[in-house]
Amino acid sequence: LLWKESWELGKNPMASKGSPLHGPRIKLIEKAQNLFAETKEHAFESKAAEEHAKLLRIQHELEVSTKQAIFVDSSISDTIRTCIALGNHRAAMKVKTEFKVSDKRWYWLKVFALATAGSWDALEKF
Amino acid sequence: MAQIPSLDNSSLNLKYVREQSQRELVNILKNIRGKKCLVIDPQLSGSLSLIVPTSTLKDNGVELRHLEAEIIQTDCTKVIYLVRSRFNLMRFICSNVHNDISKGIQREYYLYFVPRREVVCEKVLEEEKVHHLITIGEYPLYMVPLDEDVLSFELDFANKECQVDGDTSSLWHIAKGIHKLESLFGVIPNVRAKGKASVRVADILNHMQVEEPVNSPDIAVSEINTLILIDREIDMVTPMCSQLTYEGLLDEFLHVSSGSVELDASIMGGQQEGKKMKVPLNSSDKLFKEIRDLNFEVVVQVLRQKATSMKQDYTEMTTTNQTVSELKDFVKKLNSLPEMTRHINLAQHLSTFTSKQTFLARLDMEHTIVEAQSYDICFEYIEELIHKQEPLVSVLRMLILFSVTNSGLPKKHFDYLRRELLHSYGFEHIAMLHNLEKAGLLKKQESKSNWLTIKRALQLVEDTDTANPNDIAYVFSGYAPLSVRLVQNAVRSGWRPIEEILKLLPGPHSEVKRGGFSSSPSFDTLRGNSTALDRPTHGRRSIVLVVFVGGVTFAEISALRFLSAQEGMAYDPIIMTTKIVNGNTLAETYMEKWG
Repeated sequence: LLWKESWELGKNPMASKGSPLHGPRIKLIEKAQNLFAETKEHAFESKAAEEHAKLLRIQHELEVSTKQAIFVDSSISDTIRTCIALGNHRAAMKVKTEFKVSDKRWYWLKVFALATAGSWDALEKF
Repeated sequence: MAQIPSLDNSSLNLKYVREQSQRELVNILKNIRGKKCLVIDPQLSGSLSLIVPTSTLKDNGVELRHLEAEIIQTDCTKVIYLVRSRFNLMRFICSNVHNDISKGIQREYYLYFVPRREVVCEKVLEEEKVHHLITIGEYPLYMVPLDEDVLSFELDFANKECQVDGDTSSLWHIAKGIHKLESLFGVIPNVRAKGKASVRVADILNHMQVEEPVNSPDIAVSEINTLILIDREIDMVTPMCSQLTYEGLLDEFLHVSSGSVELDASIMGGQQEGKKMKVPLNSSDKLFKEIRDLNFEVVVQVLRQKATSMKQDYTEMTTTNQTVSELKDFVKKLNSLPEMTRHINLAQHLSTFTSKQTFLARLDMEHTIVEAQSYDICFEYIEELIHKQEPLVSVLRMLILFSVTNSGLPKKHFDYLRRELLHSYGFEHIAMLHNLEKAGLLKKQESKSNWLTIKRALQLVEDTDTANPNDIAYVFSGYAPLSVRLVQNAVRSGWRPIEEILKLLPGPHSEVKRGGFSSSPSFDTLRGNSTALDRPTHGRRSIVLVVFVGGVTFAEISALRFLSAQEGMAYDPIIMTTKIVNGNTLAETYMEKWG
């Protein structure tokens, strides 16, 4: 029953996708995280919810600082790619450490992002 | 080329099934006089196009529309809705009716549910206060003949509904379909089922027989000798592998839907760029019938051979004097030219996909996974797919294949890959992971995998010459589909000899002999016939109805056809399925879409 309840909560923020009210959405996800945390077998889901909330916060900040509404609702990998493509390496690095992105994945993302941005020089150096 | 297959060569009179459905629809239309607007559920249009040609509808004074979110504009005073029982469709209907009311337009509304009405849907209409305005009926279209040996229920989500949502209404639907066939062709004496859903279907079928016995005394001996029911759940390995038959590849890359494929006209040698065209694919096309089940490598050779021989004929024709009969032969050959061009174009288009390095690497990896020898290589390959953010469906196919053959992944890897998936594709996919876990397609390893035992016992990995195959393994260039191996055994000797293996696979199995008439007391006098039912029908090839609950791939159908063409196999298969599927369409049903 608990599983179901938290599941509904987890679903909710998705249903309200695209709504400008990110604040309540993050709160909902955090609530789901706590519900998941109440049982042992949902540790993974709880962690995922926690990361999801964190990601939304960071994306929000990024949108404010870059003044471009292109971050929210993209995945962690996408966020890193967008940052690199925009030349904002510091932000990309921050996301990387924040979510403990493995080097393997990091390098793939970097190569792809640099290629899309057409920064062949940077690709060469790297 | 007709979109509707001719069905003339069918071993079972499927034409009759189609005509019955056609008649029922035409009757509905005829009973509503005058000009009318037929608004159909877009999901049904494929099935309907296989039942009635559009011209027949037009002859009955029908204006054809699709039911969508937009309001339908029409001058007709009579509107007929033909829909499946879905909530969103009910909403569309309501908004249409409300729109008319607000504009003060009066119309007659008819609503036909396919295949049967459901109370919950009518409740929606009642809440919206339109129920009393609509005349409600049923159009009992349960199955559609896709070709001379394939019937489909066209239930897109049957597999997921059963595995995740616990919604088993599709099972009733399947049983009803089989029961309908029995009422036409007689009670099937031998029933063999494997899997939870299949056994349920067999049970429901028996109940139907008791409640509503097939009582056609003129059919003393059933035309169908054996019914084999197989759950898709038992073999999720096969659909996740890339099909390598011609028809299978067409489905993998271009997606065959209701017996035809839609693609750019330019590919087929058309003039206009960007225009879409439909190419029908069924056995009325003689060349397609010949090559559909072959391994694609061979198809290319066959086409080349045919083209060269035609060229030879042509040069002979221009150089030497011909008798009239020889001319006639030549012209006859020329008639097959459009078919030739069609398939050469298609094959050429396909080879642009199959020659890609990534595709070949993928095939290689699929075989490595099925062999189940080098766990680490497979793991790293999938990890890399995720890191590179390859299309999610293709990653899922690999993951499912990997998880199923290993009966789950070790906890560490399971959590790691799930986390990487969420990071790469977004957290919204957590619902999908949950679905897959619930269906047992991607899960934590709890016990040692018995895939190796199954693989060995049923000889699933077999080397076979694709050009001159001696085993069904040719359809996947070296892997024999588990599902078809089971059918092969079930036809040959029933379940008993392979009982040990069956126990390793999920779900129960059952084997029932039905006396046919014994269950209905009024036919007691005919009981003597029940022994005769066990014999294959008088010298004719017996018919085996193979039902795949949860979908079947073209490659598996090809394998079944191949088996029946082998020496000593005195049966013709009729394949029945909830839907023709492939790894992509199957995996997609598990990816939940948000409002």
